[in-house]
Amino acid sequence: MGNNLHQAGVKLLKQLGRHAELVMDVYLAGSIAENNDNAAIVDKLRKADILYRPEAEQELRLKRSVRALLEEALKDERNRQIDANVGSSMATIKTLADHYKEARHAVDYAASEAYLADLSEHVYAFAEGLRYSIRVLWSRINNEFGYVGTINAKIRENELAQSQVTELLNGLEMVQFDELANIAGDIRELRKLLVTRLQETLSDCTQELSVVQGRLLELLGRFRQIQGRTRLLKGWLLYTDQHPDYNPDNHVGHKQVPNLFNQADALIAPASVDVFNTGHENELLQLVTQIKSIARHQVATPTREHDVSMSLAAAEDFDIPDNPLKLAVDEYFCAVIDSGMRQSALQYHQQQGLEWDTESWLYQVICGFEGLPEEHRQYFELEPIGEPHPRFNGNFIIKDVELWLA
Amino acid sequence: MTAMTETVLVGQGALIEALLRGEFICKTTNEDGWRALKSASTREHIEQYLNQINRTLAQAGEGEVFFCGYLQLGERERKVISQQFRDICNALTPLVEWLVLVQEANGQDAPLSEGAAIRLTELQSRIEDTPAFKEQLAKISHYRLFGSTSSQVDAQIKLVFKRLVELGYLLRPNQEKQIYIATGKLDYLYEVIRFIDETEGLSLELQAETATQRELM
Repeated sequence: MGNNLHQAGVKLLKQLGRHAELVMDVYLAGSIAENNDNAAIVDKLRKADILYRPEAEQELRLKRSVRALLEEALKDERNRQIDANVGSSMATIKTLADHYKEARHAVDYAASEAYLADLSEHVYAFAEGLRYSIRVLWSRINNEFGYVGTINAKIRENELAQSQVTELLNGLEMVQFDELANIAGDIRELRKLLVTRLQETLSDCTQELSVVQGRLLELLGRFRQIQGRTRLLKGWLLYTDQHPDYNPDNHVGHKQVPNLFNQADALIAPASVDVFNTGHENELLQLVTQIKSIARHQVATPTREHDVSMSLAAAEDFDIPDNPLKLAVDEYFCAVIDSGMRQSALQYHQQQGLEWDTESWLYQVICGFEGLPEEHRQYFELEPIGEPHPRFNGNFIIKDVELWLA
Repeated sequence: MTAMTETVLVGQGALIEALLRGEFICKTTNEDGWRALKSASTREHIEQYLNQINRTLAQAGEGEVFFCGYLQLGERERKVISQQFRDICNALTPLVEWLVLVQEANGQDAPLSEGAAIRLTELQSRIEDTPAFKEQLAKISHYRLFGSTSSQVDAQIKLVFKRLVELGYLLRPNQEKQIYIATGKLDYLYEVIRFIDETEGLSLELQAETATQRELM
């Protein structure tokens, strides 16, 4: 028996897996029409009780249990189904407990084990079901019923959720712990399941549900406020349309002016420093010493509405006027081009009898090379000549550089 | 210690100044001030100060908006209040029409309220694309409250928004961007309409609801 069930279950799951695409299509679209392409698959799924036809001439739909599995696993927020039927779960649990007690009394260990396993399953499932319902409610609260568009729909959704919470709470109230304790008697396993475990779950869930209820009411209040404001505006326009010469009454003419309209006019006298107050002398002097004369041209900075894009495309556009050192370096580059030979920068410096310090000269040559536009730099090769620092690792001291045409 | 009391004093001083300038203080316009006014002890301090010059701290919008009112009403104060009441009554219809236009053009469920942002360029393109909105904007901008004489959508809408910033209904946090944020003064406006509705028994909400239901039918 167990083996058969196992095999059948595996077969069912495999079928779901094999036709996952189609199942998800149905899940998202709600229904599917049979056509020549999918007739074989649809037929198989129907036989496996995954798809069903609610009425003749209707399209095929996903079975509720498969849908619920997907909704729960995918945390799909469109899911609004909440199982508030606490009564029937409790009845099942009580019945199973009676079975277990009977089997135990008859010293039928195999049967009592099986009943206990079944009972645990039901108790856990009941707790999990409650927690799941609360999770669903929270997710709806947290995105403020974002899955429906209008405020009116949100208000209706909120009312639905509230009625579900009330039903859940009513159901939970029906659970009588003294009755459960009686059923459990002095059997340890039963007490643990029926009394300790259930009580914990129920008190947790009841607490959380009352928080949920509070939040739902708060949200409803906000939705109503928004709706009220919209209506207020529309109503005002309608009213002034129908009564073109309407003017509000003089609400401030009464003896008692409503607080809302008691608004003082602006009253603020310009404040200035009292230079005759000797007590302030020190602070004032300090302030004066900190004053810097800053002359700013009174030109309003132009503000741009839009970013004006600009690119530095041609290198010539943004060249800065050269200084003599840079020009000399350019000449050095030209000399290399003219001769086509490898040329040491220091030797060139001596030959030409240049006035600059050798170190600045080398720096400028390196800068000149690095500063060339990419397409020009490709024509040159620069090699630094020097030695590593004797003490400090990784430092390379450049004594000279050589430049040649690549 | 002295440094701390000084900053508290300076903070309260700035707050009192803002109130005396006739500003509405809400979370959007002046978050620090609003937070300070939420504490009962600060409110008491400020109230004590204001009482000495015949002013009092007033609240609207379920305590989310603060402004300055008169403690006792004499002849002069009554005149000021009457003038202000007339101003706000004259502004009601243009402002309501503008609120509805923004709500409808943006396709929103909720009317503008404190903290909501409006992107002017988006709104403008939506209005330009729909003749009915364009007509509505032209009508609104020609009210005396806004006083536009232009026939261009661009000029009309910019003027309307400029005036709304001046009147304190909107805030433009960044001068280089066309993004505006609604202030708590709008919530004050809703309260004014609700007050008039309730005291005069206009039942505006009911009318709007029956009108929508008739449309649905």
